[in-house]
Parts: sequence; C-alpha cells; structure tokens
Amino acid sequence: MSAVGVLSETIRGHAPILVILLPMAAAGIALVGKAFSGRRGFREAAIVLLGLSVVVLAFTVETVSRDTAAVPYALGGFDAEPAILLLLDGLAWVSSALVVLVGILVAVASLPHPRFDAAYFFFLMMTIAGMQSVVVTTDLFTMFVSFEIVAIGAYVLIAWERTPQGLLASLKYLFLSTVGILFFLFGIFVLYRDLGSLSMLTLSSLIPQEPAAASAVIPGFRLLTLPEPGVARSVPLAVAALCVGIGVRTAFIPFHTWLPEAHAWAPHPISALLSGVLIKVSFLAMVRIVAAFHAAYLMPLFLWIGAITALVAVGWALAQHDAKRLLAFHSISQMGYILAAWGAAGALSGVAAYSHAISHALFKSLLFIVVGIAIERAGTRDVYRMRGVGRGAPLLAVGVIAGSLAISGIPPFNGFISKQLISSALYGSPAYVLLQITSVGTVASFIKLSSIVLPGNGGNGREGASAGRLPPTERFSIAVLAVLTLAGGIAGRVVTRFLQNLTDGGGERGAIPALFELSAVADAGVTAALGAAVALVVMSAPGRRVAHRLSEVAPELRTVLLFFVVGLVLFSLAPWISI
Amino acid sequence: MAWYLIAILFLISLWGIIAERNMVRKVIALTFANTAVTILFVYYASLSGNTAPILTESGTPVDPIPHALMLTAIVVGVCVVALALVLVYQLYQRFGTLDMTEIERRVWHGDEDT
Repeated sequence: MSAVGVLSETIRGHAPILVILLPMAAAGIALVGKAFSGRRGFREAAIVLLGLSVVVLAFTVETVSRDTAAVPYALGGFDAEPAILLLLDGLAWVSSALVVLVGILVAVASLPHPRFDAAYFFFLMMTIAGMQSVVVTTDLFTMFVSFEIVAIGAYVLIAWERTPQGLLASLKYLFLSTVGILFFLFGIFVLYRDLGSLSMLTLSSLIPQEPAAASAVIPGFRLLTLPEPGVARSVPLAVAALCVGIGVRTAFIPFHTWLPEAHAWAPHPISALLSGVLIKVSFLAMVRIVAAFHAAYLMPLFLWIGAITALVAVGWALAQHDAKRLLAFHSISQMGYILAAWGAAGALSGVAAYSHAISHALFKSLLFIVVGIAIERAGTRDVYRMRGVGRGAPLLAVGVIAGSLAISGIPPFNGFISKQLISSALYGSPAYVLLQITSVGTVASFIKLSSIVLPGNGGNGREGASAGRLPPTERFSIAVLAVLTLAGGIAGRVVTRFLQNLTDGGGERGAIPALFELSAVADAGVTAALGAAVALVVMSAPGRRVAHRLSEVAPELRTVLLFFVVGLVLFSLAPWISI
Repeated sequence: MAWYLIAILFLISLWGIIAERNMVRKVIALTFANTAVTILFVYYASLSGNTAPILTESGTPVDPIPHALMLTAIVVGVCVVALALVLVYQLYQRFGTLDMTEIERRVWHGDEDT
C-alpha cells in the first residue's frame, strides 16, 4: 500500500477520536495564545486546526454512507465492557459535519473583534470538542461528561461580554441545566443498577424490542401495561430521566425558559453557535437514547410537545421587539418543528427532522450573525428602530433577506425543502394543523424582522460612526452561510437523498416527495400572504401595544424551575399514559 | 432507610434551588443536589461488597465503576459550582445584592443601566 493509502486508512480508522482531538488541540493553541497575549496568529491557527476536521470527515464519508456502516473506535484500545466505545455512524457524521461547519464560520466571524480574544477561542473550541464528543460517544457517562464540557463552555461564552443580562442569563441556564443533568445522572444510575452497563449498544441489546403491549382503557388515553416485572420495569423511568436531562438542553416546552435570554444576550457569534448547533446536538443525543432503549411509546408525546412548542414559541416571537430575542424564540419554535417531525415516527420522519435541523442550523446561524452585526452598527436592539441595515454593507441586507426567506419556507431556499419533508412526514396528523399556523406566524414575524433593511434613519442617530464596510472575515462567514442556505434549497433532492443514505441505515426508506411541485409552491405563497396579513396586525399600533406588554413578561427563575418539575412529572408519566 | 435519606436530601436541595432568593444559598443547594446523586451511586456500590476494590485483599471487593464515575462527576460539579460563584460575584458587584428575584426584576423590567 502506498504512503497515501496508509495515511488515509489511519485517518479513517481514527476518525471518531480525531474529530474530538482536533478542536481540543485548537483549544490548546488558543490557550498558548492567551499566555503570549499580544502575539497574533494563535486564533487563526486554532481555526486551521479545527478546519482539519473537515479532512477527517471527508475521508470517512464514503464509509459511513454505505448502509449501516460505521467507524468504531475503542478508546485506549480496550474493547471489554466498561471501556468506552466511540462510533462515527451516519447520524454522527452529519451532526459532526454540521458542528465543524458552523463552528468554523462562527470562529471566523469572531476574528475581527478584539474582545473575542484567545481565551474566548479556548472556550469556543472546547465547546465544539464537547459537542463532537456528545455526537460520537456510545457511552452514557461519557455523554454526561461531554454535555458538561459543552455547558461549561456555553456558560462562560454567554456571559462573555459581562452585561448584567448576559450574566443573569448564564446563571439561570447554569441552574436549570445542572439540575437537568442531575436527572440524567439519575437515569444512568437506574440503568447501571438494573442492567449493569453504561454502553448504549449493550443496554440496547438487553432491553426487549417491544416493551409493552398497549391496551385501550379510556378513549384517547391508553394505559400501557407495564413490561414484565424485574429488569425492564425501571427502564421507562430511566429513559424519562435521561430525556428530561437532555430536554433542558434541547429547550422544548416546558424546559425552554432559559433559552430566550441566553441566546439573546450571548455575543452574536455565540448565539449563532448555540442556536445553530448546540440545541441540535442535544436533540441528536435524545434521538440516540430513544432509539437505543426502543422507547417508541415516547413518540406521540414528542409529536405533541413539538407541535405545541412550535406554536407557542412563535406566538412569543411575534410579541418581541428585541431583534435577537425574536430570533431566540424562533429557535425554540423551529426545534418544535424538528421534534414534531421526528415524533411522527413515519418512514420519512427521521430524514425530515435531520433535514430541518440542518436547514435551521444554517439559516439561524446566518440570521444571528447578520442581526448581531446590525445591532452593533445600529446601537439598538429594537426592530422598529433599526433601519437601513444594509447601508454601506449590502451583504448584511442580503443575509437578513436570505435567512428570513429560508426560515419562512419560501422556495427555493433550504427551509422550503425541509418544511416540505416535514409536511410529508406529518401529513394527516392533527398536529400538522398547529405547524401550519406556526408557519404563518413565522412569516409574519420575519416580515417584521426584515423591515430592518428598509431605508430610514438607522439607530439613535449614531449611524454615521457605524455605517462602514464589513471586515472581510465577517463577509466570508455571511456569504458562505447565505450561499449554503440557497444551495441547500436548489439541490434539495440531492441533499435529501444523501441524508437518507447516511441516516436511514438500510431500513425501510420513505420515498422523497416531489419537492418543487406547483401545489407546494402555491402553499408557500398562501402561507406568505396570510403571514403578511398577520404581520400588518402585529405591526399596527394596537398590535405593538399588546406585543410590548407580552414581551415584558420574563419568567423568574423560581417559576422556571417549577415549569421544570411539571415537565419532569409529564415525562415520568409518559410510559404509562400515552396520548 | 439510606435510600429515603438520599431522596430527602435531593428533594430538599431542589426546593432550595427553587425557593431560596439568595443566590449563594441557591448555589449551596446545587452542591447538595450534586452530593445527593454522588451518595446515591456510592451507597449503591457499597452494597456490592465489603472491602476496597484492591485485588490483594481478602473479602468481596465492591464494584469500582460507580466510584470512578463519581470521582469524575465530583470534578465536573466543582467546576460548575466555581463558575456559578463567579457569576454570582459578578452580579453582586453590579447590583449590590444577592437577592436573585430583586436582580431579575431590575434587569428585565427597566433600570438596566446599573
């Protein structure tokens, strides 16, 4: 074998650990840069190291896209039970690629700001490393540690600018997700006590495929008969605890309350990272856990939580006048879409959910980056007072428009494609109606947001100082994201097919519906028209007054934790009561 | 009996996180919650044997894995608590109070420029 062949074989074999080690090494370089503060180039070097992950992923794409193929990696060379096994399968590959892509663009967009120094890059890279490790691990305890690495990085980064709001949002997130992760640990405890393993693969083989036969007791509510006493009986409790722990990170209702403040007051590249990939990574961890424990009984619950999350969050989003808070509420709402699509548990559900996760990661990072820059330039966060965002930097206006069209599901952007897939996955379900209403609300809210590109007096009269050109690095990130948003739409069929190859693992495979059908395009048109009508109402003077009062409501930590307990009860009961 | 004590410790600390207004006390409650979970693992492992898991000794060694897990969990918990205290301190410096309800009121409803 030639030297190149050996090298590529080595890279392929070590891919699961390399995708974690490269961002860690990047973090190390950034830390060295912190020690030599004043020297330049360390931040760039960190980005280059992170960029090498792209090479690793490129080497493995062929392997993982074969049916059910995956790259396993036994950590430390131990392959007996307590050892940790990393696994880069199709789903992990997709998530990992997404983390790397958004991570690089976010890091590049942070470069021009001196306040994002080498220490900031250290935490950024560690967060990315943590996310990669959540994605590839098959060991529950490793997943816990990885989640905590991600979380510690996120707490620091959210509070990076040390605004009172940022500090408070970070502390609130810390309390909530730490309590959440304790439930996750409790879930691990129950599983270890009763099944004696921490590996999801082993546990999966220990749990019977059909844990419970449903019997109708009350119409609409089926009380599931419990699995046979003994081993499997505690498994639903453990799965509920794991899902609650991760649910806090995924931010669906009722665990969403930390997200609006945290995502709105983080520095804007961090908002892009948090909204773009962090909540997706925890969603994917949940997908893995539910799949590993054959917890199909949770699916209807996820379907409804998803649909309700989508609708309620879009309602709150409509009430916001703080541009970043508006985007943050839309992140919750779009996660609702993803959850609902996945919970529908049909042949297309998986692909629809992952496809929307990817679309959302791209357009929401784009929106957070452009809106964040626009806020800095305008000196205000109020959508009604930001005007003429594109002055001196037309790319900002392009970014806002592209992102808004994509999230509204207007062809030919990627949001249209993934919403099409979700429609097909959910067709006929009553939850679909909720998502349709949500789409209208989304359009309305983004008409409101994109009014910031209209010409007018920008900001508080300080526009003179801030209307300069964008630094090239920021332009690069915005352009790449905007192009990907558009390309993901135009090449929708190819991307969807690729995704199906990677994630469906040879199982039953739903036919991809015709994506650019006339009726679908007409549907998008109707939604847009309705959305415009709603936008008119919301932006009218009485609408603004109501909205202003609503947006004042910010739940206190006390209330938030009570929500949390309610959610926990809901999940713990899920195995026994199914909707 | 011990199981109930652990559950009570966890519930009390959860209540502390919810109901305490003082942020430092909230953080203390958080460490208690952490400790409750740690004790849960360690107590369970202690039932599986009667000596330390060192192969040279006689007797039934306890299952070492929960201990190893908890060492890691304790380290992670220390990091989180340290960070929480940093955030609390920064908020205290800005607002001159440790009352979380008061700070939240001031941050989200006007007079933000403290």
